[in-house]
Amino acid sequence: MIELDGVAKTFDGTIHALQDVTFSVPTGSICALLGHNGAGKTTTIKILSTLLRPTSGRAIVAGYDVIRHPAQVRASIGTTGQLAALDWQLTGRENLVLFGRLRGMRRKPARLRADALIHQFDMSHAADRRVGTYSVGMRRRIDIAATLVVPPKVLFLDEPTTGLDPRSRRDLWELVSSLSAQGVTVLLTTQYLEEADVLSDSIVVINEGRVIASGTAEDLKRRVRFSYCTVSPANPADLGRIFDVVADLEGAQVDREANTVSVLASDGNGVATLSEVFRRVDQLGVELADISLRKPSLDEAFLQLTGSVTA
Amino acid sequence: MTAVTALTERMVLGAMRDDLPFAILAPAANFVVFNFALRNVIDTGRMSYPQYILPIIIVQAMLLGALTTVDRAARDQGSDFGVRLRTLPISAVVPLTARMLYCLFRGALALLAAIAVGYLFGFRMVGGFFYAAAFAVLVLTLTLALSLGADATGAGIAGAGIAGAEIGSSGAASQLLLVPQLLLVMLSTGMAPADAFPDWLHPFVRYQPVSQVTETMRGLATGHVVVSNVATSLAWCLGLLVVFGALAVRTQRRTQ
Repeated sequence: MIELDGVAKTFDGTIHALQDVTFSVPTGSICALLGHNGAGKTTTIKILSTLLRPTSGRAIVAGYDVIRHPAQVRASIGTTGQLAALDWQLTGRENLVLFGRLRGMRRKPARLRADALIHQFDMSHAADRRVGTYSVGMRRRIDIAATLVVPPKVLFLDEPTTGLDPRSRRDLWELVSSLSAQGVTVLLTTQYLEEADVLSDSIVVINEGRVIASGTAEDLKRRVRFSYCTVSPANPADLGRIFDVVADLEGAQVDREANTVSVLASDGNGVATLSEVFRRVDQLGVELADISLRKPSLDEAFLQLTGSVTA
Repeated sequence: MTAVTALTERMVLGAMRDDLPFAILAPAANFVVFNFALRNVIDTGRMSYPQYILPIIIVQAMLLGALTTVDRAARDQGSDFGVRLRTLPISAVVPLTARMLYCLFRGALALLAAIAVGYLFGFRMVGGFFYAAAFAVLVLTLTLALSLGADATGAGIAGAGIAGAEIGSSGAASQLLLVPQLLLVMLSTGMAPADAFPDWLHPFVRYQPVSQVTETMRGLATGHVVVSNVATSLAWCLGLLVVFGALAVRTQRRTQ
């Protein structure tokens, strides 16, 4: 498991990269660290993987304090980032053998383990080519395989799907889910809300070095205390007329691309707003394709939580 | 130990596909070129020119090798691969140790290649086994000292790069270091006896470390050494070893 308690990191005495970061990830679960660029995601991962020392606070990884027992922490973790941390002059297979031996495996077992991983990651066709000749997706696969040569207790993935095509992304999600099913604790950072939503058991939203929200995706959506009432006409030409009759309601707006008019419904007034909108549009007599009350997407929740948009 | 072996093998494997063949053959080729160009120009007294010049060729190879170590260390230290090494359960000095073992390996191969070519052109080790072994030990001590200095420079540059300074300046640094190393080689008694240089340069040419070390090497090759000269060479090599070694280990400190 991973535990952070009041972790702060200050650079040069003036730049507060992290302030009072507190959250925990139970064993075998997946936590997504969500935030904009520069929010402090990578700094958090660096502290947890012993690359940076926290200025204050306590961080425990797999039962070991990152400051007092860094060697034990290193023996328990695997890390992978957006850039493949491999030796590009070596082949994929040579890299895997190298990382096995760096984790204390003897030559022969390291080779056998590399063979197994190459097979598991479907890389047989390229295993004996230099990593420098690989595509981004192939490099990422070998990179992740390299962290699994000796299965870690805790896995850190820093923006693991950045730059991947949709298929490779799906494959990676599947892999991460299966690792967590095997009891590996996973902390991943991402800017993709979809990824956090689909993949993780819990989400920590971080902004300007502080945790501003945490919980499940549902918790976060619920914390955003409004929903949307959206109307789609059967004929897009009617959008303007619909908008006119609801224009005086809170947050009314047209989205021509999605063919919707939406209105904000504050907490507890969802049904009332829906029936008011329906009454007005019904009087207008246009044919509707759809009218519904929907919770904000995680995207909308995230933007509101980080203060990028005020509802 | 496994980690050091694995990382050293990794360096050898990578370098074989990169600059290792060149690093081994360059001194031998330099020797042939210098020998043909200068053997009738420079008066080396009773000693044949191949016998005289092979030591400076070897020292120059070690100096040039150290320059590539600057880049190598900077690349290793600053790369994502280097960062990942710091999250592995290995000691902080393991990557440095592996780089140094590789430098010694490369140095030993270059030394053997240079001596082999030297033998074709008349260079001889006539002092017997003890002197020949001392010759090799002196060269490898110098190689290690220079490599440690180069590593500290490269790793230091990469460290500054992480802290926000200009990244990729290791190339510029090794270019810059080319100048002093060229001066040390050209203005030494390794190329030509001191009499070949203008009077005002004599003190520098005679006492600078490259001159002292190549003189010791010539002595060890022929089996006749001057004690004071051996002492000076050893002092230089061991002194550099200690100073550069301390600097190189210091740059390997892990977390800030």
